Amino acid sequence: MSQNAEKVLDHFSLFRSQEYVDMFENKKAFENAVPLTELQTAVDWTKTREYRELNFAREALVVNPAKACQPLGAVFAAVGFEKTLPFVHGSQGCVAYYRSHFSRHFKEPTSCVSSSMTEDAAVFGGLNNMIDGLANAYNLYKPEMIAVSTTCMAEVIGDDLNAFIKTAKEKGSVPAKFDVPFTHTPAFVGSHVTGYDNTMKSILEHFWDGKAGTEPPLVREPRDSINFIGGFDGYAVGNIREVKRLFGLMGVDYTILGDTSDVWDTPTDGRFRMYDGGTPLAAAAAAVHARATISMQEFCTQKTLAYVAKKGHEVAAFNHPMGVAGTDRFLMEVARLTGRAIPEDLTRERGRLVDAIADSSAHIHGKKFALYGDPDLTLGLAGFLLELGAEPVHILATNGTPEWAARVQALLDSSPFGKGCHVYPGRDLWHMRSLLFTEPVDFLIGNTYGKFLERDTRTPLIRIGFPIFDRHHHHRYPLWGYQGAMNTLVKILDKIFDVIDADTIVPGKTDYSFDIIR
Amino acid sequence: MDLTLDEVKARNAEVISEALSVYPDKTAKKRAKHLNVYEGDKPDCGVKSNIKSVPGVMTIRGCAYAGSKGVVWGPIKDMVHISHGPVGCGQYSWAARRNYYIGVTGVDTFVTMQFTSDFQEKDIVFGGDKKLDKIVDEIQKLFPLNHGITIQSECPIGLIGDDIEAVAKKKSKEYDGKTIVPVRCEGFRGVSQSLGHHIANDAVRDWVFEKGGDKPPLFESTPYDVAIIGDYNIGGDAWSSRILLEEMGLRVVAQWSGDGSLAELENTPKAKLNILHCYRSMNYISRYMEEKFGIPWVEYNFFGPSKVAESLRTIASHFDDRIKEGAERVIAKYQPLMDAVIAKYKPRLEGKKVMLYVGGLRPRHVIGAYEDLGMEVIGTGYEFGHNDDYQRTTHYVKDGTLIYDDVTGYEFEKFVDRLQPDLVGSGIKEKYVFQKMGVPFRQMHSWDYSGPYHGYDGFAIFARDMDMAINNPVWGLTRAPWSAGQ
Amino acid sequence: MTGLRQIAFYGKGGIGKSTTSQNTLAALAEMGQKILIVGCDPKADSTRLILHAKAQDTILSLAAAAGSVEDLELEDVMKMGYRDIRCVESGGPEPGVGCAGRGVITSINFLEEEGAYDGADYVSYDVLGDVVCGGFAMPIRENKAQEIYIVMSGEMMAMYAANNISKGILKYANSGGVRLGGLVCNERQTDKEYELAESLAKKLNSKLIHFVPRDNVVQHAELRRMTVLEYAPDSKQADEYRTLARKIHENVGRGTIPTPITMDELEDLLMEHGIMKAVDESIVGKTAAECAVA
Repeated sequence: MSQNAEKVLDHFSLFRSQEYVDMFENKKAFENAVPLTELQTAVDWTKTREYRELNFAREALVVNPAKACQPLGAVFAAVGFEKTLPFVHGSQGCVAYYRSHFSRHFKEPTSCVSSSMTEDAAVFGGLNNMIDGLANAYNLYKPEMIAVSTTCMAEVIGDDLNAFIKTAKEKGSVPAKFDVPFTHTPAFVGSHVTGYDNTMKSILEHFWDGKAGTEPPLVREPRDSINFIGGFDGYAVGNIREVKRLFGLMGVDYTILGDTSDVWDTPTDGRFRMYDGGTPLAAAAAAVHARATISMQEFCTQKTLAYVAKKGHEVAAFNHPMGVAGTDRFLMEVARLTGRAIPEDLTRERGRLVDAIADSSAHIHGKKFALYGDPDLTLGLAGFLLELGAEPVHILATNGTPEWAARVQALLDSSPFGKGCHVYPGRDLWHMRSLLFTEPVDFLIGNTYGKFLERDTRTPLIRIGFPIFDRHHHHRYPLWGYQGAMNTLVKILDKIFDVIDADTIVPGKTDYSFDIIR
Repeated sequence: MDLTLDEVKARNAEVISEALSVYPDKTAKKRAKHLNVYEGDKPDCGVKSNIKSVPGVMTIRGCAYAGSKGVVWGPIKDMVHISHGPVGCGQYSWAARRNYYIGVTGVDTFVTMQFTSDFQEKDIVFGGDKKLDKIVDEIQKLFPLNHGITIQSECPIGLIGDDIEAVAKKKSKEYDGKTIVPVRCEGFRGVSQSLGHHIANDAVRDWVFEKGGDKPPLFESTPYDVAIIGDYNIGGDAWSSRILLEEMGLRVVAQWSGDGSLAELENTPKAKLNILHCYRSMNYISRYMEEKFGIPWVEYNFFGPSKVAESLRTIASHFDDRIKEGAERVIAKYQPLMDAVIAKYKPRLEGKKVMLYVGGLRPRHVIGAYEDLGMEVIGTGYEFGHNDDYQRTTHYVKDGTLIYDDVTGYEFEKFVDRLQPDLVGSGIKEKYVFQKMGVPFRQMHSWDYSGPYHGYDGFAIFARDMDMAINNPVWGLTRAPWSAGQ
Repeated sequence: MTGLRQIAFYGKGGIGKSTTSQNTLAALAEMGQKILIVGCDPKADSTRLILHAKAQDTILSLAAAAGSVEDLELEDVMKMGYRDIRCVESGGPEPGVGCAGRGVITSINFLEEEGAYDGADYVSYDVLGDVVCGGFAMPIRENKAQEIYIVMSGEMMAMYAANNISKGILKYANSGGVRLGGLVCNERQTDKEYELAESLAKKLNSKLIHFVPRDNVVQHAELRRMTVLEYAPDSKQADEYRTLARKIHENVGRGTIPTPITMDELEDLLMEHGIMKAVDESIVGKTAAECAVA
């Protein structure tokens, strides 16, 4: 017996005690376990070029993808509006999954309801679920807006949200004037970034184009303010706050559309805030008058931006800009659109970032990286790595389109450090596994699921992306702005130094390089 | 400050009517049937269960797919489980349930991987059977050491009428009778995870036992062979259970399904006794094996030393004296550890009140463990329990306990706010709601990334975790000193 | 898309719906209207008379080949036919697999996003027999077809289908703007066909917009995969379609919210016109042997 009341053993150590190790060994007799030699042969085979070719020849099977489905993005976009309850029309299990997924990442509650459609609704349609669901959600959770999206179940049977919501209003589920923007978000089209885009567009359309026919459309009276859309972003809390700070320093009149920074960062002070922060609905409506709309993540907002442009806004789209040049471009565009100068404070911040890069670049220069994530994030990160003199050798996005791949290729072509680097649209993390075995790199950048790649290929993982389940609170720190670039730089450097230290720690063997000054 | 039993009952009844008052009439009428104050002499908890959730109320429940892929099948480690349909379901459930296992992932074991057919619009419109056919080929090519494949249907599969059974049969024939199991666990079926458990159990019956055919036995039977049924090895639960069974002289020939393998499922008809932990999710297959193979089954509870000892004796009662003595030996061996754990933690936890809301067995099963620490469960409910669960619950709960079936987010918040427990045990979606309110919380699905909680080794961790939740100094910091008066 | 007129033809399978719609649209084109036909039937036969083709490559088959609809360009799916009528076919799966209804949703979304409707005066949806699921109701959702024309005949099943389609329209008529434009009776030469069609139209709170007489020239034209308008522009039948086209053109904004009737009322209607005899309730469910005993 190894368990102990004084020092309670956790699963980390408990199961390493001999009694358990023996038990595991004995259990194999019942498992029809693969003989060790055969297993080892197979393990080695999965590391080969031959296996990589088989792996890349896959046409149907997807293994460990780095993408989620549309309604997840719909929920993300919806909660960014003040007192807005996301309502997903379809099966209820999906909503349980979205809520869990966000809570595991942000370590925060995520409120969202489902219309709980079951087998009878599959046959007869989900109209009654919409009628009852809106009434219940409205009475229980007192939202100011309910943003409706769909699961694949409702999409396959072809439920018509527009008609259903109108009928529900006629039946008194919610007041006729109550805001219920809606959008169809089939899970079998695109990914979570598509769902974000569809929902953001649907909310703007709702406010700008006459609230589903209940009011006259707004007539745009151009003003000097700008709109800002962050996109689906695991770092929304830190990033949006940083953007607000930058806008504040520049004196910009702005509206953040989909402001999740407070929603997913509420205090523990004895009160549960189901709604906190978010873009005020009046501000979302008034945003039609803005001079311009900036999107930080173009691939999250393609339809939204097209719509906004049609309204007469000047549109500026970035791909998750990071680092010195990325932030420069962003700030200069803000300055151009608003006529506000970039203040000296920010110039100094920029200088400090350049200073930090100069101090540390010897450790990053020429290091090879593999990275994966959403299309915009990978573009932004790759740009920053090139700027640091690092080589982003493998760049992969499961939800990356050919258009994204072309954009990445153009970026790689623009830098000497991009030579020999490759882009992989539509591939998954099992493909990445083969890449890491056959063309090894020094570091891997990705979300929490990357730890399986780290385990198998021993490529040290730097966690940047969504979701991050196994490290806490990083979403509170920005990746954007010079400050965000500084955070990212430090994150990368810390891992590099940790790896060097771990590698040189053996006393009397390698510890001559276990330096105290680096 | 302690209320009398009558006061407790009156308050709980009042809390229920308060919560119901906010609903539209039609919904209030429905929800009323799921909420009750337990009357000590009744044979059940007086609530309706296993009924459709009301739309729009923020039910905490999941779906049939979650019950099959997430619970029953997913932990079978040497099989590849295809999440068949769009990418989301498999993504959100990927490696999230902490079903521990031993094996080389991606080579001979596959639990913490996400295999999906990643349905696109064209698969919906033209049907996905051809794609599924190709997926099986690709799995065979890239993961040749897999011992079987399951096809876990997501919503669209049933709606577009794909014939996954036909594909499974065809591919099984092509690969020399390989076990390929189609599971019709579309998320819109049934009212919760529960139907998924049942469908998954039936799939084991139909596609492992009945279609699997006779395979040569892996081992010689002994009179002491048992199978652990309904332990998903969350954080190693099945391991800290198995070790006790083996120490008392039994031989565990199968684990269903945590750290389990296809061979273990196939072995189970040779067991002398099936011991059933999660009744809700695996009673179906236990009953089937009793009827078909004559294997008796017995429920047990490995939470907390009282229930562990009781259960070891109950299990031993099905065997000869050697095992009965073994049980006593095991109980005696761990007694000092248990005494030390209780001596350390009971003084810190005595009298603390707990509210639970969990899945299939824990709303009742963990009550004994809390009581071993001197704690009291004042409210409990099931996400997807049935009437038989609520009947079994009466053996655990006290008169006046607040009972809530398929609780809504609104109700749960209200109940906790009014009952002011010292600890809430529920899931990830609830965790941060209550912590914001300043109420200590432990996730009781995933053990909050801790565990195991089963068996004697697990109880030490359980006690430590409850203590660290409740006696966390952070709960004294939730109010700023300057706003303490508010 | 102001000024764009969106209409849809529904009707029981085999009723001559595609023939009627294509001839009528050809006549509208002759009147100078710019037409887009969107075939919404997995059989993909809504445009062959216009294109002189057996079957057009469909959006869904091309999308499946290319990967997804996002990979398609409008040019890939749109063909020009008689009098520059633009034609697309949604297509769909083989019978018995997949989800044809979803295919209709996919296709229409694609066309709208790609701006397929730009510059058209008319978009016409040609939809299969019955509104069997949400997908086949896509063309009658809000901001889609404004008027539905039901092609029917004096046969009982055709009338039954017409009534069912009216039910589908009614479902969407209150929340959206869809209306029943009228019935088009495609003559089958059944008894009292005209009167029946008229009465049914009245019961449905609609009108018989035109009674298209039977004429072999339609068959002759079909054999050549042509509309009558093109094959025999001077024929009397061509004039019939011109009349129908003109009536539809003038029918803008005159659609009604249908009042579908019950099965019993439908049977009453048939009995009223002597098409069906009253059912002797005493013989229902009895076998021949039982009847003989009675």
